[in-house]
Amino acid sequence: MIWGLGFFRAMGVTMRNMFRPAITVQYPDERLVIPERARWALVHKFDESGRPKCTACMICERECPDDIIHLTVSGDAASGKHIDEYRYELGACMMCGLCVAACPFDAIEMSHEYELATPDPHALVRILLHDVDAASGKRAKADAPATQAALAADAAPDAARGESDHA
Amino acid sequence: MSPLLVIVLRTLAGLGLLLLNGVVLIYMLRKVLGHLHLRLGPTRVGPWGIFQTSMDVVKLLTKEDFRPTASDKWLFRIAPLLIFVPSFMAYLAIGFSPTWHFANLDTGVLFVFAVLSFVPIGIMMAGWASNSKWSLIGGMRAAGQQIAYEIPLLLSVLGVAMLAGSLDPKVIVESQAGLWLGFLPKWFIVPQFLGFWLFAISAQAETNQTPFDMSEAESELVTGFANEYSGMRFGFMFLAEFSNMFVAAAVGTTLFFGGWLLPGLEHNALALALGPIIFMVKVYLGIFCMMWVRGTLPRIRIDQMLSFAWKALIPLSLLWVVVFAVILKAVGA
Repeated sequence: MIWGLGFFRAMGVTMRNMFRPAITVQYPDERLVIPERARWALVHKFDESGRPKCTACMICERECPDDIIHLTVSGDAASGKHIDEYRYELGACMMCGLCVAACPFDAIEMSHEYELATPDPHALVRILLHDVDAASGKRAKADAPATQAALAADAAPDAARGESDHA
Repeated sequence: MSPLLVIVLRTLAGLGLLLLNGVVLIYMLRKVLGHLHLRLGPTRVGPWGIFQTSMDVVKLLTKEDFRPTASDKWLFRIAPLLIFVPSFMAYLAIGFSPTWHFANLDTGVLFVFAVLSFVPIGIMMAGWASNSKWSLIGGMRAAGQQIAYEIPLLLSVLGVAMLAGSLDPKVIVESQAGLWLGFLPKWFIVPQFLGFWLFAISAQAETNQTPFDMSEAESELVTGFANEYSGMRFGFMFLAEFSNMFVAAAVGTTLFFGGWLLPGLEHNALALALGPIIFMVKVYLGIFCMMWVRGTLPRIRIDQMLSFAWKALIPLSLLWVVVFAVILKAVGA
């Protein structure tokens, strides 16, 4: 090893960089493709007729570690629940996705809406559902793929335990 | 034209060149460093961001000129001038072609180095007057490093002076005309290869460039001696830094790369006309290499830097002067 050789090698590295394209993404003009499983603002899923799939089971509200999901529900399970308000405090959300993981009806998801900066603090509290009838839990339960996968994993505890977390 | 008018016009031309150089070099630095680091550099103001530095000048001119209460009033005000004026004066001795120069000095090279040795005094003054520990450390480092690196810088020039037998930039350039062995340009970089490396390293240190920018050292001293300055006073210091870079590259071109000469393009009307352009292209290539080093190497520690100067560079350059003198005598005889 000749003393000082590293200097020339370093100069070579930077000169090679000079002729390679920059890695800069000029944000408002160019955007990166977000990874498929990126977790950003919470949104509801809707069925084909445009009704929310939420059954107002309240599991997401109880599951939320930050206590930022608040449901106001009227009616009862027998006569059909009515969601007066599904309040979501975006500004306090840490995008952990536990509510989505816990939802037995596959009714909510973490969207790819990541440009969340706003000059208005009130915009950081979102009313996701307002004055709508909740879906019937019995019908939705059988359809939910997440539930199906969880049931299958329970039935075969040795096989596919690792995957059941991600199903 | 009256001689007074000529002097005034030459001064204004020099000032214009300095300011234009400053604007162009700052843009060039940001672009070159950006692309060396896989970034883009300025892109927003004008096409390819070319108006970025002009806008920065406007910003610096309109900024508040702030002076901390505890600073030394007069030293604080004089220091930017003491940094700026010598680097402006150094333009005086640069020859752009046989006929283009601000002044015809017999000892031009010596003049440049003499004048530039004022710069550390200004930097130290700025560091002291700011009454801030970061500025003071920066000023002290500037004094220590620039005095240390001035010695190998001057010694590296001695070899060229022995070859050309003069310190006049014009004579030095003219004695580099012609070819060796029919293909090698007779530039002094060939016999003075070691001398050129000593010059390049010391010039990098003299102009406060990374890896030797100890007196600025953004990550440890914020901006060192320029810490408390704002507005155009800071602008003067910044401008002086880039003009020193230009002066160093111009002196290097004159001493080692044949100034305005190109092989095959000597002593005719075309060469006379193209001289300044060739000279500027060479200078800017030299500046690009300085920026390239700047974009490649990390900053070294002040103790490493000083021991490198005193224990390696100075003995080496002294030895080279002696060895080269002996060789020159032997070959000449």
